[in-house]
Amino acid sequence: MITLLSAEARRLLSTRLWVWALAAAVFTGVLVSVMALAGPENFDPPMPALSTAQGTRLVLGMAGLLAFVPALLGTTAVTAEYRHQTITFTYLFVPRRGTVLAAKLGIYGVAGLAYGLVVAVLAGAGLAVAAAVHGITLGLPTGELVGLLLRIAVMMAVYTLLGVAFGALLRNQVTALAVLGGYFYMGETLLLLIPGVNTMYPFLPGGASSALTGFTFLADAVAQTGISAPHLLSAPLGALVLLGYAVVAAVLAFATSLRRDVA
Amino acid sequence: MIRVQRLGKRFGEVRAVDGLSFDVPPGAVTGFLGPNGAGKTTTLRMILGLVAPTEGAATINGSRYADLPNPSRTVGAVLDRSGFHPARTCRDHLRLYARMGGYPDARVAEVLDLVGATSYAHRRARGLSTGMRQRLNLATALLGDPQVLLLDEPSNGLDPEGIAWLRRFVRALAGEGRTLLVSSHVLSEAEQMVDRVVIIREGRLVTSGAIAELTEHGSLEQTYLTLTGGAA
Repeated sequence: MITLLSAEARRLLSTRLWVWALAAAVFTGVLVSVMALAGPENFDPPMPALSTAQGTRLVLGMAGLLAFVPALLGTTAVTAEYRHQTITFTYLFVPRRGTVLAAKLGIYGVAGLAYGLVVAVLAGAGLAVAAAVHGITLGLPTGELVGLLLRIAVMMAVYTLLGVAFGALLRNQVTALAVLGGYFYMGETLLLLIPGVNTMYPFLPGGASSALTGFTFLADAVAQTGISAPHLLSAPLGALVLLGYAVVAAVLAFATSLRRDVA
Repeated sequence: MIRVQRLGKRFGEVRAVDGLSFDVPPGAVTGFLGPNGAGKTTTLRMILGLVAPTEGAATINGSRYADLPNPSRTVGAVLDRSGFHPARTCRDHLRLYARMGGYPDARVAEVLDLVGATSYAHRRARGLSTGMRQRLNLATALLGDPQVLLLDEPSNGLDPEGIAWLRRFVRALAGEGRTLLVSSHVLSEAEQMVDRVVIIREGRLVTSGAIAELTEHGSLEQTYLTLTGGAA
């Protein structure tokens, strides 16, 4: 398994995908920093300032909104094996297909966490700089802020795993990217419009992510419609629900896609 | 020794391979011949565990491919549709699969040298010619220094010089005592490369045996056309 993990790491590092991933992580971190420097009170419409807990959470929540990016990168990485037919070599060298998927999940879990940490460090630094520039104290105590940043990093890692597992399940790169991207872009928001479905929101990927990061923009918006106010899960439960989606997709991939002929 | 026993594969209503049995003896080059669509590729992929048979079994040295302890050490395969990531260099491609098979990185330089690909090892796969890709394909198959090699239409798309190189290379591998199963639909080329042949048509065995016996009364092409019912 160690050699397989190491081989998958070589696979990841021997194309430019990791450079794009690093660029995306830096972009996300910088975006949060720029928003912090601009100050949420100057947004249109104005939002709570950084000096309030709500304002700090809001700015950090922007990083959460971009969690679909590492998911799509994970999908791209795993479906590239089918697109370029390197999967034939891979299964010739390691015919135990479930082991191959497990190694990919392992390596991309680490890569996703690294992605999240880059975002968290840059976003954290951006917030600190913004607070210094504006001469204010951030609305969240340092301990809570660091915890929130780490939760964002974990979310990025879990989303990467989600992307990998869905990619393994769907195999076709374009289909997988369209399905996953479409869901994150508007699928979940549309789902919430169906009467009754909004009560499931805490268990949908978006709701579980909000629980994990404490960014409740969408949940609040739903609550404002007066239909009902979905109560979010606790942060650890949110993480588990997200991980659950990745596990379900991986198990489904193992039971279906991985057994298909490689022709 | 490769043993194919009553192997069958159905794709919906189509029987691509149907009750196919043959042995590939060690230490010789066996040509796997038949018209396009005869089931050669499907059979090779079933031997390699990439396609699941609907009936029968194929074994290599008595084991199914997936049950071999480190399959790439026993069997190397060059398949028509195996590919390379366009952005990965030849050397990185080999380093990745060397690691996957548990071989030292030094083996990468050896196989590059063996197939004559060292000069373009730094190039990304997207810029390779068909001949270069085929050499890289062979290099990947040879990483584990396997005793058994399965080559699916290895000369497809090669220029005459490439075909001549391939023929010498296959004979040299056989000279080292390796077992080779080489599929082809180009008979004149197969005739110069193989010791034995297995001929199939519509997924079924037509004949198998030493090439000297089959060409006793004419060329391989004549024998083949007579056996497969083609026009002479």
